[in-house]
Amino acid sequence: MTQQTYFYHPQAGKLVKNIQKVIIGKDEVTKLSIVALLAQGHVLLEDVPGVGKTMLVRSLAKSLNCEFKRIQFTPDLLPSDVTGVSIYNPKELNFEFRPGPILGNIVLADEINRTSPKTQSALLEGMEEKSITVDGVPVKLKQPFFVMATQNPIEYEGTYPLPEAQLDRFLLKLNMGYPTPQEEMEMLKRTSNVHPIDSIEPIMEKEELIVLQNQVNEIVISQAIQRYIVDIVTGTRNHPKVYLGASPRGSIALMKAAKAYALLHDRDYVLPDDVKYLAPFVLSHRIILTSEGKFEGKDEKTIVDEVLAQTKVPIDRG
Amino acid sequence: MRLNSEQNHIMLNAVIYICSFLLFWEWLRPLQEITDTGSVFIFIVYTAFCFFLSYMQLQWWITSPLKLIGLLFILDGLFIQEGFLSKAWIDYLVADLGLNIQAIVSQQWWEMTALFRSLLFLILLWLMSYLLYYWFVIAKRTLFFVVLTFIYITVIDTFTVYDGKYAVMRAFLLSMVVLGLTSFQRLLVQEKIFRLPKERYFSWLFPLIFFVVFSSFIGFIAPKFSPQWPDPVPFIKSTAEGVSGQGSGPGIRKVGYGENDEQLGGAFVQDETLVFTAAVDDAQYWKVETKDLYTGKGWIRSEEGTFVVNENGTVVLKDFVDTVEVEQKNAKIAFNDQELLPKIVYPYGLTNVDIQDPIQLHHFKFNTESGEVFTELISSGNTIRVTNYSVEFDQPTFSLKALREGHQDDPLDIQQKYTQLPESLPQRVRDLAVEIVEGEENRYDMAKAIESYLNVPSRFKYETDRVAVPTGEEDYVDQFLFETQVGYCDNFSTSMVVLLRSLDIPARWVKGFGPGEEVEGPNGETGYEVTNSNAHSWVEVYFPEIGWVPFEPTPGFFNPTDFTSGVDIEDLLNSEDPEEDIPVSEMEKPELTEEDETGSAKSGSGDSFLSKVNWKLMGLIGIFLVLVGYYVYRKRYLWLTWIKLRQYKNKSDVETFIKAYKFLLALLASRGMKLKSDQTLREFAYQIDRYMQTNDMRRLTHHYELILYRGDQENGQWKQMNELWEKLIKKIMS
Repeated sequence: MTQQTYFYHPQAGKLVKNIQKVIIGKDEVTKLSIVALLAQGHVLLEDVPGVGKTMLVRSLAKSLNCEFKRIQFTPDLLPSDVTGVSIYNPKELNFEFRPGPILGNIVLADEINRTSPKTQSALLEGMEEKSITVDGVPVKLKQPFFVMATQNPIEYEGTYPLPEAQLDRFLLKLNMGYPTPQEEMEMLKRTSNVHPIDSIEPIMEKEELIVLQNQVNEIVISQAIQRYIVDIVTGTRNHPKVYLGASPRGSIALMKAAKAYALLHDRDYVLPDDVKYLAPFVLSHRIILTSEGKFEGKDEKTIVDEVLAQTKVPIDRG
Repeated sequence: MRLNSEQNHIMLNAVIYICSFLLFWEWLRPLQEITDTGSVFIFIVYTAFCFFLSYMQLQWWITSPLKLIGLLFILDGLFIQEGFLSKAWIDYLVADLGLNIQAIVSQQWWEMTALFRSLLFLILLWLMSYLLYYWFVIAKRTLFFVVLTFIYITVIDTFTVYDGKYAVMRAFLLSMVVLGLTSFQRLLVQEKIFRLPKERYFSWLFPLIFFVVFSSFIGFIAPKFSPQWPDPVPFIKSTAEGVSGQGSGPGIRKVGYGENDEQLGGAFVQDETLVFTAAVDDAQYWKVETKDLYTGKGWIRSEEGTFVVNENGTVVLKDFVDTVEVEQKNAKIAFNDQELLPKIVYPYGLTNVDIQDPIQLHHFKFNTESGEVFTELISSGNTIRVTNYSVEFDQPTFSLKALREGHQDDPLDIQQKYTQLPESLPQRVRDLAVEIVEGEENRYDMAKAIESYLNVPSRFKYETDRVAVPTGEEDYVDQFLFETQVGYCDNFSTSMVVLLRSLDIPARWVKGFGPGEEVEGPNGETGYEVTNSNAHSWVEVYFPEIGWVPFEPTPGFFNPTDFTSGVDIEDLLNSEDPEEDIPVSEMEKPELTEEDETGSAKSGSGDSFLSKVNWKLMGLIGIFLVLVGYYVYRKRYLWLTWIKLRQYKNKSDVETFIKAYKFLLALLASRGMKLKSDQTLREFAYQIDRYMQTNDMRRLTHHYELILYRGDQENGQWKQMNELWEKLIKKIMS
């Protein structure tokens, strides 16, 4: 990506900067997490433990003055541990609903692939439907609602990889990566005394975030760019090394993300640059490579890059 | 096999260096011819040896001994008898060096031995191999040496006997290759390209080869200017020979009266030295002699003829009959003491010669056939050169009527003597004569037709230098009429005589002087100053009832002889033909031009248009037009920009802006900065701005994005955008 100067939306920009006080160096992940938040989507972070995933989510929650919940997925975790349970109250003689962690605003679903598909789907259903059913009773989730799920790409023993249909529920799939030595030094310096997470202040109320989320819908996206999105998504379907391309849901996701990205940069219209930049994050977890493709050492990201390289950027009207 | 780029670099360098050697060879080639250098081949071999060692880039302690050994080996082979590197050998060399150093110290340059000079020359070659390696391979600055080589070859070609024709062609090819390759290498270095796939080399080499071949081909077939200066070599040679006293062969001569006309042609240097002054009231031909036998190269006399000796000064040399109207006149002739001639110079109709202040008794010896008049001392019989004399003559006025109407039966002796031509005379000369006189009925008109044909400056150019000398089988007249068409009086007069004779009209070649420059004498009388530049030759044609009549075929000269129409006044008044009205003194310029026009019209109508089209020329023009068209197309953005700048100047609407932006993209593409299909405008703008060190492209692109992706129709900043656009365009064009 070229190093272009972007201007942030005043409020969203403050959010980015606030998080950057805690998370050092991971500007892209920070920015994209906020994009997903603005687009009312969710993020799948694929990375090894200890690179700051939790810190990212916690600082996000704290900045937004939101309720932060964390679910540590383990093989023995039950769906009700996610959604919550109704417990009989002998005093009141009724069942009292004890809400699970999914009923927070910002949820960290740590090591989501370590739990059984049943538990996974409890979370994923909530992410998609924005409501859950407990004991036959639908419970609406809180707004805003943002899930950041993590999975460890290294260990496969005793894991339940997320099925493709469920990966589709995540707007973006991000990689955190290790910090550079300088960043790590800075990190040590900042955490030596008081952890910065404790020092940051909320800079936005939940309601303000909802307003911003609604503004995303008003961002202008021209026909040409819509066409560009469709071309890219179709391109993933036609790529010879792709077994299953991105679904129309992928197109919608790309458009939403692009709009949110435009808003984050204080623009009221989408640029092809936005689409091009976001496509690998939006699409790479939505395609399945053929075994031949895998054998050639390609991964989903390179496939998306190849598709982008073959797709003509619209430079004309209409 | 795939060559890696380093090998390619080495190969390029090798080719360039070999070319430099071949160019340097061109410097050595002329040595054999223009200096007393022998064994040039050995020097060339040594040069190649030095070049090879320089190219190998070995350590100096390896190459220097090798070169030194090579050098000594050559000296041994050329000059030293003793065994190589033996004691005697070294002694000889040391002794020779000592001798030469002494010669140098005492500045006796010419005493340097051949061995020592060869030694110095070999060292020069050695050094040159270093210098050229540096110029061609290290610095890649080849133009200077190429230009020097061309200057060297052209100077050597111009001022020495060395013929540089092929040398120039070879040098041209080599220098094109060298310049093409070095500029390619410089480009690689400049753009910091160190690895380049093999195919890329070919994409440079193919156009290079194409252009070298193409331009050589064009250069080869294209018409070339003939030399703009006279070749100085004959002059230098003749001067050098003059100095060394071994003059022979045709060189540049000084204009003037000469005896030997066996070999005509060659350049003349004008000489304004006064030969004589003549006190006479009218312009005259100053005749000296005639010649009758044309050899194909020049004129000689078929026989010496009989001389008449007359002691009382009565020298009657009237070549025309008594019926011709005459006017008695006299002239006083005073020669320049430095330019005395052995023969008397006289006007037409000579009746008497009188030498003033005779020193000794003398008589005149003259030949009525050749027209020569000698003055001899009676005592010794020796010819003397006379300074002052006066002549009486009957100035003739020839009647055109008589000339036209007289019969054409020539006396047999005249017919035999004055129509002879060499067997070798090409048929086309005879054909030309027939063609020229076509339609003319009498001898006079035929002679006039030939005279007029030659006397057309656009057809035959009068010039005293750059005049060819016929060699081998070439005929002097044929060469002039059909090949060179450049010459002076000898060419014109000889051609006229030969053309006439080929029609069996008796004619002869006359030598003498033209009328000279009119001056006013001390008492107001008219006189003429005749200089060496006035030396002249003209033509006499025989008319049976009249005699010998002078004609003047050389452009720029006029015939001073008087002609009259020969009709009565009444006839004149009744005459309807204005051409014959006036008694003409034969300097009719209008008639000449008229003849010229009809002449050219005739030749023009003879050929169809198509056959006249020069297909080669048309082809060249075609290629030229195609190249021009291609060039205009290639450079279309130069003029398109100019148009677009004016077109978009004061417009402010979305459509114009889009067009202008698109044009900018196209312009950038033409400059090698193409927007890739997967590239966004913003990425591209960033790239351009980084390249041009501005941020104008991003600013402009931002507005384009607003129109394109947001659908903006109005923009308050048209003027600003226009300025930005113009600025960018100008920056790109610069």
